[in-house]
Amino acid sequence: MPQLTYLEAIRQGIWEEMERDPTVFCIGEDIGIYGGAFKVTDGFIDRFGPERVIDTPIAESAIVGAAFGASLTGMRPVAEFQFMDFIGCAFNQIVNMVAKAHYRWGAPAPLVIRGPSGGNVHGGPFHSQNPEMWFVHAPGLKVVCPASAYDAKGLIKASIRDNNPVIFFEHKYLYRRIKEEVPEEDYIVPLGKARTAREGRDLSIITYAAMVHLALEAAEILAKEGIELEVIDLRTLSPLDREAIAHTVRKTNKVILLHEDVRTGGIAGEIAAIINEEAFDDLDGPIVRITAQDSPVPFSPPQEEYFLPKVSDVVKEARRLKAY
Amino acid sequence: MAKKKQQKAARSKAKGKTSPPNRNQRTYTIADHRLERPQFTLRQVRGKDGVRYEVEGDLSAPVPPIRDSKYLSKQQCIEIYRWMLLNRKMETALENLYKQGKVVGGVYFGLGQEACSCASAYALHKEDWLGPMIRNQGSLLVRGFSARDIMMQYMAKAGSPTKGRDASSHFGDIQTRNVVAPISTLGDLIPVLAGVALGARLQGRNIAVMTYIGDGGQSTGVTYEGVNFAAVQNLGLVLFVENNLWGYSTPADMQFRVKDLAERAIAYGIPGVIVDGTDACQIYDAAHEACERARRGEGPTLIEAKMMRMKGHAIHDAADYVPKPLFEYWRKRDCIARFENYLVNVKKWLTSQGNAALIADVERVLDEDREFAVNSPMPTPESAAEGVYCENGCHEIKPKYAAPKVRKGSGAFKQTEAEVHFK
Repeated sequence: MPQLTYLEAIRQGIWEEMERDPTVFCIGEDIGIYGGAFKVTDGFIDRFGPERVIDTPIAESAIVGAAFGASLTGMRPVAEFQFMDFIGCAFNQIVNMVAKAHYRWGAPAPLVIRGPSGGNVHGGPFHSQNPEMWFVHAPGLKVVCPASAYDAKGLIKASIRDNNPVIFFEHKYLYRRIKEEVPEEDYIVPLGKARTAREGRDLSIITYAAMVHLALEAAEILAKEGIELEVIDLRTLSPLDREAIAHTVRKTNKVILLHEDVRTGGIAGEIAAIINEEAFDDLDGPIVRITAQDSPVPFSPPQEEYFLPKVSDVVKEARRLKAY
Repeated sequence: MAKKKQQKAARSKAKGKTSPPNRNQRTYTIADHRLERPQFTLRQVRGKDGVRYEVEGDLSAPVPPIRDSKYLSKQQCIEIYRWMLLNRKMETALENLYKQGKVVGGVYFGLGQEACSCASAYALHKEDWLGPMIRNQGSLLVRGFSARDIMMQYMAKAGSPTKGRDASSHFGDIQTRNVVAPISTLGDLIPVLAGVALGARLQGRNIAVMTYIGDGGQSTGVTYEGVNFAAVQNLGLVLFVENNLWGYSTPADMQFRVKDLAERAIAYGIPGVIVDGTDACQIYDAAHEACERARRGEGPTLIEAKMMRMKGHAIHDAADYVPKPLFEYWRKRDCIARFENYLVNVKKWLTSQGNAALIADVERVLDEDREFAVNSPMPTPESAAEGVYCENGCHEIKPKYAAPKVRKGSGAFKQTEAEVHFK
């Protein structure tokens, strides 16, 4: 089985879908001859031609609008955002035009909007955000946040095949930092199913995207102290796997919610409410949140480090919760 | 031989091939098909009892004749006239239903703009697409929806095209009528319709995709993004800019600085056309030529139709801010009265008895539709929970026109390790 980076896994997933299904096409800024700012579509134009790998003006509302329009004719567009921070430019198209289409007038919108999000790369306030919750709050959309290369490929393929609009957040810190064995054969990872990234009996940590790796790192440290952490990777924020959340809480009875997104209005608050609804009696301690602070993502490395959750934060909170 | 070549060229165009636009050519001429050029401006005047709009200029000009169509037959003119009548009388019926308390929410009118809605949509072929705005209820009728569909939308009935979930002209049909449902924000349909044309082109078809924007709505950024995208991609967008002089209560003079909104076409590098928005023949001819151009794969056209919105923004708005002389000026240019006079008195294509019979028939249809709509049930409360997602095979996604033609190059998948933005 070949070793692929997270980015290569996404590339391969889109490539395979374009080979498999002639209705799949890519649209976005600088994705053609240049191959995209992160080279996700490198070489695509040579294989699939400029008809199916379309460079657009710098106009995000036009990209989403055009992708939606094409999807109405039975196409499956994959729209690239150079940075997910720029998705604000297309916000109205996504939440008012696309997300409501099926509910309002029965028009399915099988399109994927994908691009890099997340910090820890010193990108500053406009190249580091985690805007996933803007879209979790818009019924009609699905929101996907892969953490591993295997999942990235399986989830992008599932997203392209889904009959609903999917916002696919690729964590840019992971793009070339993680590498793992990814099957060459066709497979999908279904949307809405969390995975257990590490089994543990003492307490659970529920997280997604790059923070999964932070949690796993913390789990290694804690294991040496005899604290066994269970790490749940949500994979998709919408739909959210309520069952997996409840299941791990029932198992360990103590839970930490971890995300790189800012604290207020982050998915942790929602998950805490779900635990309250589904597994309140199973809790043996307070629900702990570890998140970024409520501020824009700062540029300077010491500031960004302060802003982001750290392994040491998880270790400290896990010890405290274990002792509770 | 030459003829064969031409036929071949026409065929290849029909198959979805396009010739790139000539970038050395500027589109600096704006065709103006009007038979009169109203010369007046509005200004804000601060009087003793507050600020109001006043109109300056000559409003006494006689009503111009209808310009004979280059394309429409007698029968087609009568059909368009019938759609216009149905459009207006349906809105009158809606006004009455509102006053009877049967409408949920407000009512939006296209009074004075029926020619623009109906004659433009009449130029579309079955495989073309339409994206109506709030005042283009007439376009929806031409496209094959019935008055009862629109009435049920306004009354929020279970049988409305959106099953009660949305109101007014906010509905569409991707199966047979090829209509994209509008949303309330302005200009957002433009890139969507461009995308529809893109999808069709990927399936080997050049089609016309028609939508509308007002003098107010054209101020939005997405309008620019959408038209520019269609221009760059050479997509068959037919954009009607309905300059009806008022964006809610704000006059056109406070929305833009250019003399004519058709001038915007110059900046997009596409043809721009001005028509009298109360002359159905001018509207149809411009729409027809733009649609034909779209189907030849030659790209978008911007058509500015000039007229006035003869009601307020919606039924709650008495439009007291509009100077009375303006209403008088445009009432004389009522699109239905002008077209009726043209058909009955100028062309004599319609006798007074024929006209009366046609009007009676429209009223009969409307009576039936109103009865049906009023007596149809409201949706069940629980139906509010259905349909957020497309799931359990509720829709099959397949290419609408044909399987996309795929031309694959020899490039194989290879891993990359390139210099990128933020490693």
